[in-house]
Amino acid sequence: MITTSAAFIIVVEFGSVLIGGWLLSSYLLKVYSTKRTRLDRIFGPIERTIYYLGGVNPYEEMGWKAYLRSVLALNAVEAAIGFVLLLYQGSLPLNPMHAPDMSWSLSLNTALSFSSNTNLQHYNGGSALSYMSQMAVIQFLQFTSAATGLSVGIAIFRGLTGKTKGLGNFYVDYTRTLVRVLIPLSGVTALILIFLGVPQSLNGYTIFKTLEIGGSEIVKSGPIASLVSIMQLGTNGGGYFGANAANPLTNPSQITNLFELAIMMLIPTSLPFLFGRMLGRMKEGRTIIVASYSLYFIDLLIAFIPITHIGQGMEVRFGAASSVFWTVTTTAFTTGSLNANLSAFNPLVILAGFFGMIIQATPGGIGVGAMYMLMYVIMTVFIVGLMAGRTPEYLGTKINASDVKLAIIAFLSHPIIILIPTVITFAIGAQVAVGLGTNSLSFTQILYEYTSAAANNGSDFLGSAGNTVYFNVSTGIVMWLGRFIPIAVMLAIAGNMVQRKRYASEALRTDTLAFTAVLIVAIFILAVLTFFPFLAIGPILSYLEGFKNGF
Amino acid sequence: MDSEPHFAVTKFKITKPKLYKMAIIKDSIRRLSPTLLYKNVVMFIVEICFVIVAVMAIDPSLIPEVSSISEVPFYIEVAVILILTVWFSTLSDSIAEAQIKNTASTLRKIEKEVPARKIVSEDRREISEVTSKQLKKGDLLLIKKGDVVPIDCEVMEGIAMVDESLLTGESVNVRKSVGTTVLGGSMITSDSIIARVSVNPSDTFLNKLIRLVESSSRPKTPNERAVSILLAGFTAIFSIIVISILALSIILKLGLDLSVLIALYVSLLPTTIGALLPAIGISGINRMSEKRIIIKSGKAIEAAGDTDSLLLDKTGTITRGMRTAIEYIPLGKHTKRDVGEAAFMSSWDDDTPEGKSMVELAYQEGFVPHEFAIIERIKFEEFSASTRKSGASLQEASEFFLPKGGKGILQHKRIRRKYDPESREDEIDIIKGAPDAIKGIVKTVPLNFDNIVDEAAKSGDTIMAIAEGGEIIGLIRLRDEVKPGIKSRIASIKNMGIKPVMITGDIEVTASSISREVGIDDYVSRAKPETKYDLVKQEQSRGRIVAMIGDGTNDAPALAASDVGIAMASGTEPAKEAANMVDLESNPAKIIDVVMMGKQILMTRGAVTTFSIANDVAKYFVIVPVMFTAVALSSLSKLNLLHLTPHIAVLSALIFNALIIPFLIPLALRGAEFKPQSAMRIFLKNVFLYGLGGVILPFAGIAAIAFVITHLGGI
Amino acid sequence: MKKSNSLTVPIRIALVSLVACGILFPGVVTSIAQLAMPVQANGSLISFHNTTIGSSLIAQDFNYSGFFQPRNDSASGLDPDITVQNATQQASKIHNVTGISMAYLDSIIKENTKYTLFFFGTAYVNVLDLNINLAEHYPAIYDRYSV
Repeated sequence: MITTSAAFIIVVEFGSVLIGGWLLSSYLLKVYSTKRTRLDRIFGPIERTIYYLGGVNPYEEMGWKAYLRSVLALNAVEAAIGFVLLLYQGSLPLNPMHAPDMSWSLSLNTALSFSSNTNLQHYNGGSALSYMSQMAVIQFLQFTSAATGLSVGIAIFRGLTGKTKGLGNFYVDYTRTLVRVLIPLSGVTALILIFLGVPQSLNGYTIFKTLEIGGSEIVKSGPIASLVSIMQLGTNGGGYFGANAANPLTNPSQITNLFELAIMMLIPTSLPFLFGRMLGRMKEGRTIIVASYSLYFIDLLIAFIPITHIGQGMEVRFGAASSVFWTVTTTAFTTGSLNANLSAFNPLVILAGFFGMIIQATPGGIGVGAMYMLMYVIMTVFIVGLMAGRTPEYLGTKINASDVKLAIIAFLSHPIIILIPTVITFAIGAQVAVGLGTNSLSFTQILYEYTSAAANNGSDFLGSAGNTVYFNVSTGIVMWLGRFIPIAVMLAIAGNMVQRKRYASEALRTDTLAFTAVLIVAIFILAVLTFFPFLAIGPILSYLEGFKNGF
Repeated sequence: MDSEPHFAVTKFKITKPKLYKMAIIKDSIRRLSPTLLYKNVVMFIVEICFVIVAVMAIDPSLIPEVSSISEVPFYIEVAVILILTVWFSTLSDSIAEAQIKNTASTLRKIEKEVPARKIVSEDRREISEVTSKQLKKGDLLLIKKGDVVPIDCEVMEGIAMVDESLLTGESVNVRKSVGTTVLGGSMITSDSIIARVSVNPSDTFLNKLIRLVESSSRPKTPNERAVSILLAGFTAIFSIIVISILALSIILKLGLDLSVLIALYVSLLPTTIGALLPAIGISGINRMSEKRIIIKSGKAIEAAGDTDSLLLDKTGTITRGMRTAIEYIPLGKHTKRDVGEAAFMSSWDDDTPEGKSMVELAYQEGFVPHEFAIIERIKFEEFSASTRKSGASLQEASEFFLPKGGKGILQHKRIRRKYDPESREDEIDIIKGAPDAIKGIVKTVPLNFDNIVDEAAKSGDTIMAIAEGGEIIGLIRLRDEVKPGIKSRIASIKNMGIKPVMITGDIEVTASSISREVGIDDYVSRAKPETKYDLVKQEQSRGRIVAMIGDGTNDAPALAASDVGIAMASGTEPAKEAANMVDLESNPAKIIDVVMMGKQILMTRGAVTTFSIANDVAKYFVIVPVMFTAVALSSLSKLNLLHLTPHIAVLSALIFNALIIPFLIPLALRGAEFKPQSAMRIFLKNVFLYGLGGVILPFAGIAAIAFVITHLGGI
Repeated sequence: MKKSNSLTVPIRIALVSLVACGILFPGVVTSIAQLAMPVQANGSLISFHNTTIGSSLIAQDFNYSGFFQPRNDSASGLDPDITVQNATQQASKIHNVTGISMAYLDSIIKENTKYTLFFFGTAYVNVLDLNINLAEHYPAIYDRYSV
């Protein structure tokens, strides 16, 4: 069924993402290196101003604890700023539509959501947010959470490559990420999006008389392009409107659809290359990129088993196939912006979405996706590596009991923060408040809600219906735990590893395709082992029963 | 020369304990007690599950939401299989421990009570006859030629040749001088010594080994600890999953039976590796002790598996450690034949390897004196460690006699008196030995003798001088030969990715020629005693795990610094203290076995872990589709790949889960098959065998069990 | 080495980020957009008879059965497009109501057909494009209904 032109487009899309990622990685290598580059002349003064204003000593080298403390402190302050601005948005400027103050629980949920790079939305952005909130809360946190994710990813890379004394300086990484990567790239992206038809204005919503006499429509124009650019580039998700990237104003055409997908994949795709460059061994990066993309393609295969026709909840201009493609990709990159309504899809598409959010490294979100992949590599190297008859080693250092313990904690935290709140929700009957029952589809939706929250994905079935105190608070907690427990644990592993000496050894080689294949299977088995019973009574049952409610 | 004397290992006859031995069964049942079992978390949980299902079988009405009275027979079956699972695990522990106790008692048999001469007076005149058991550390002993050394002791006075064959199975005499250790059980074959007891009878290495293998409290090795953490992690994950399923099932009314959930739980738990992990560790120590290697810590076995660099002494490890004559060098007016014949004559009664080789070389070159049969060797002076020479006195005999040993080519030769017939002197002394030793006792020394000797020694060979009738007539070149089979062993080592480094005090030429001969790329020539330590440090600074062997006090720092230090039991006390393994057989080549065994233990642990986790995939697909009886089973049953009914599915999975433990006990005790290959090849082979096999085998196994129990009926 | 103050630094850096990312960035982008690409920046507004009748990007409601109708079940609820199949079905109804020839209706559908770039290639048309076309060509019919 795939036509030549479709195949051509797929090749161009993935080709440009991979080439773009590869090129970007060589730029990123310069960004995060301590060596002086020509770019310092442009960016140096800006960064020095920021260090001066922030009181940062850029020469301070941080161990993992200091790095983590800074990550947590900065993100907590930023989330608090977001919380306060939302709580009082009604009385703040740039509110031409007079959006009212947000409730405390929704403010909390939104602040925790965007600061954790999740962007789960329990509100309808088109009507519930002022311009000020869209900019100074949503866009602000989308930038900062993406910068945090990328910085942490880089710090972990440094720890594993072991070429530095410490993990770097978080404030320097964060500032450089913003100044040299995210703001310039988002700027260019935003201008391209505007050129392709995405609005960018602060003129308020305008009501127009439509073609038919008596008809009228509101054109909800606003600072949309600037938001969409960082939302995709920083694998944030969410959207200016409730309907995310389905709304024609955020994603007006097929070209913007492909472009937005590509920029979403860009940075996560570049990081394995960057890892290879930092190590000086591109083949180690190849292991990660091949493993991530293979798992991503497995997701796509699952999603394309059923033939999806254009139906309710999809946009005609994208077509069914690209809606499925977008949904799988947005979960695989844990972005979570949707270009269609999840209820529109075959349960197998939802299942593929689950896999993306369970694995979180296919290739996953900005910075953290590569981090999760390294967690899997450490676990896999340890489990199967013993079979080579040597103490397992990765990148020339031995994997010890403490690394295994930490990797297990990171891995274990994910099912815990998904399953426990899911069980509690049904135990206290909280699902009733959002119009759900005790059937298989309801179970899928609740499980999806917490999986999405824990994976910092942000796509969900509930949408603004989820605006209850229970769901706001519980998903808020899950989003932050899902974000910062693995970050803390992986920083600890990196911090422990950074000081260890590296040696070329004859142990199991992780830069081979054979190991990559084992890694892929191991990740898949780990994911299946953890979630199979729940997926069985959720999307799998729905699929087998042919969309019926189940139970 | 045809056999491999240096690799020969006296095999202990270790009788394998039989499964039906009542003692093992009793011990394994004793181990079912929760107070003993709690240390093995996975098995402890299975036992708790057994208790829960047993309670359900007794009174199903206690938890009506998740149990039913009609299922009582099923609960009984599940409970029985669960406790059997635990028992299989304790059984594997019991067998492993029985095996190791067996080894210990075999070792104990070596230790016999031996009479000893204890010096009791200051002037060493008074001696009391005691037995070895009565000795204590510090006692002074007189040990004479022919005595069995009663206990490990350090030579204080005298030099002696010692036969350690009782301990090592090799009848090679070792020279022991002041400061060296003689081992209890070895025999003095020349001279006599005064020695000080260096250990209390309860602290001999043999005893230490017995105690180590018998003690049940064994500290976990780093890898074992990491595997335990991994297992704890998986146990935690599955616990959370199962508790969540239980809660959801009750809330959403999925019609789940607790016994089925417990069956799923136990099937998913890493029971196989959980059950076999202790046995794998114990059996590793056991296999080491079977090879007569005392391990001071389990950590060293793992480090042995990780070895990157292997430091090998040339002498004794790569070469035989004994020299053979390869050339006769005449001096002055003498001919090669003169030297050869003299060497032949003087060595005929010499049983040292050197002596034998001289006779052999003379045969090969045709230097057998025609007068041989009429010459009577009236006196033979054995090689003495203190004089560093040996010799023979010859006299014309009146009758023919055949050379001993049936070297029949001489039988009918006419004998002509070679030696100056005019001479009144009818007795001729032939002495051979170290050039400087010979120089001191002869009348005439050739001009430039020292220079000639030095020149001859340049190639790295050992040079002996030979004197006849008080005149040095020539030199004998001896060379230490490469051990047979060492080349292929070096190749195996390199295949495993380990870098062998040869250390020798020899000059560059010798070192390079020998290392080339056996295929070693790295060598250190002209090594001084401290070179080993420097080399260990240098290799370690490159992050390499270094294994080495040593015996002298000189080696102690290097042994202490190396990751795997194996001291020869015949070595000095400081060396043994510094090392983390002691080889009772003092066979340096065994280091290669130690490395392989270390790898095997790591591999076995990894293989069973991978297999255990891979098994879970099949168990999920067998149990989950039949688990929720209230859910439209017809739909989920599409996932039921084996099409089993709920009861059969659950029981088959549980039985498979239990049976796989005894099935794998031999693997745990014997170790996974190991061939010296690169890490990557071993890895891929094992991934297929235990990873892929671990996914596929349970499907087949469960299907087979289901077939059996279906056809047995009654279930 | 002087350590960054762990208390004040996060607050100061957060405030700097707020200004840079939350105010300056969207502000600068908006300014450039309004200067350089005002049409797109303001929502791609569309005119009919010199009156702005809203954005070409979002669906408009049509009550009169002589107009093509948009879908009202889609993800955003604003989907301005319908499939060609759907348009063709509606055409016969419009033909019945207005008497406009099927040939003409088919021709404007064909003229305005776009294709999805991806895989299964659903062909689609923009409803507003069709209706503007009808209103321009058949003022007699549509003047009563259109602005």
